[in-house]
Amino acid sequence: MPESILEIFTDADTERLRKKIKLWIIALCIAAAAALAVCSVLAATVTTANAESSEFRTIIISTLSGWVIIYCAVFVVGSARRELAHSETLSEGERERVEGKVTVTRERLRIKKSVCARGVEVETPSGAVHFWVVESKAAKLKDARAVYAVHGYVAAYEVAK
Amino acid sequence: MKFVRNVFSQLHTFVLWALFSALFWSWIFTMTTDVPAAEKVTLYCYVPEISDTELAVRLEETKPDGIKKIKVHSFEYVMFDVEFIESGDLFIIPESMIEEYRELLLDPDSGVKIYDAASGSGSACGYIGYGGEDCYLFLGAHSVHIEDGCAKAVADALLSLG
Repeated sequence: MPESILEIFTDADTERLRKKIKLWIIALCIAAAAALAVCSVLAATVTTANAESSEFRTIIISTLSGWVIIYCAVFVVGSARRELAHSETLSEGERERVEGKVTVTRERLRIKKSVCARGVEVETPSGAVHFWVVESKAAKLKDARAVYAVHGYVAAYEVAK
Repeated sequence: MKFVRNVFSQLHTFVLWALFSALFWSWIFTMTTDVPAAEKVTLYCYVPEISDTELAVRLEETKPDGIKKIKVHSFEYVMFDVEFIESGDLFIIPESMIEEYRELLLDPDSGVKIYDAASGSGSACGYIGYGGEDCYLFLGAHSVHIEDGCAKAVADALLSLG
């Protein structure tokens, strides 16, 4: 039966990640500038009568906007950056082909400052071989008949045409 | 669930940001609301209750020429930094504490009675809760506004408040 090789990260995926990172950085910079502008206006227009309330408002605005920006920077931009770096590593490494029944396991790996991964087992005639796949792409392996792995991570897979 | 897990994984960053934000903006507001001693008159009050902001705003309505700000603080405001209080221009002190703070006062024996506990009457009672003791208003010994008369002018304005 003819088979086709599909990449875990397609060119469109990496392009989409690059675009997402760029747009989020622009949005976060605008949000930070807006929060700073509001706080600066409050500080510049302070009088004896409104000093306490203005200071309180400024600290609340600065803290909350900072929290939102930190959250998005770490968990949206950071996550996309890690996925992009991972996709680049997969595209550059030497690939090892393993054929057999492919199963995504419940095993989950969360590497610090890297991607979240799910376990993958390929049952070959000589025994089961274990790999990892990026969690967001794990569903792609549903119909896989063989995988191509780089440094223990699935980089591509084969499906029946 | 994922959101909560994410927040807890970066809790230290969020706490540090909140601390930095509070300290930074407090410093900025101190810088923007404070002026050199020559341009402000500072009143320290040894009283149980005080509406410091409202009193300062009221006194600023009649501030003397050359004065940009009137600052009103309770003694608790400077309890960890006694040097701060030495530059005070005016002091409201209860009778029993005059001896303790004698060094701060220009003329400790000639304070103006600002509150009479027996009758419950006094000046600026709408802003200051005096407690159960007679209180006196003094000029500060280290005030920079004795010669220009600004400390005296603010004291007069204070005494005229109902």
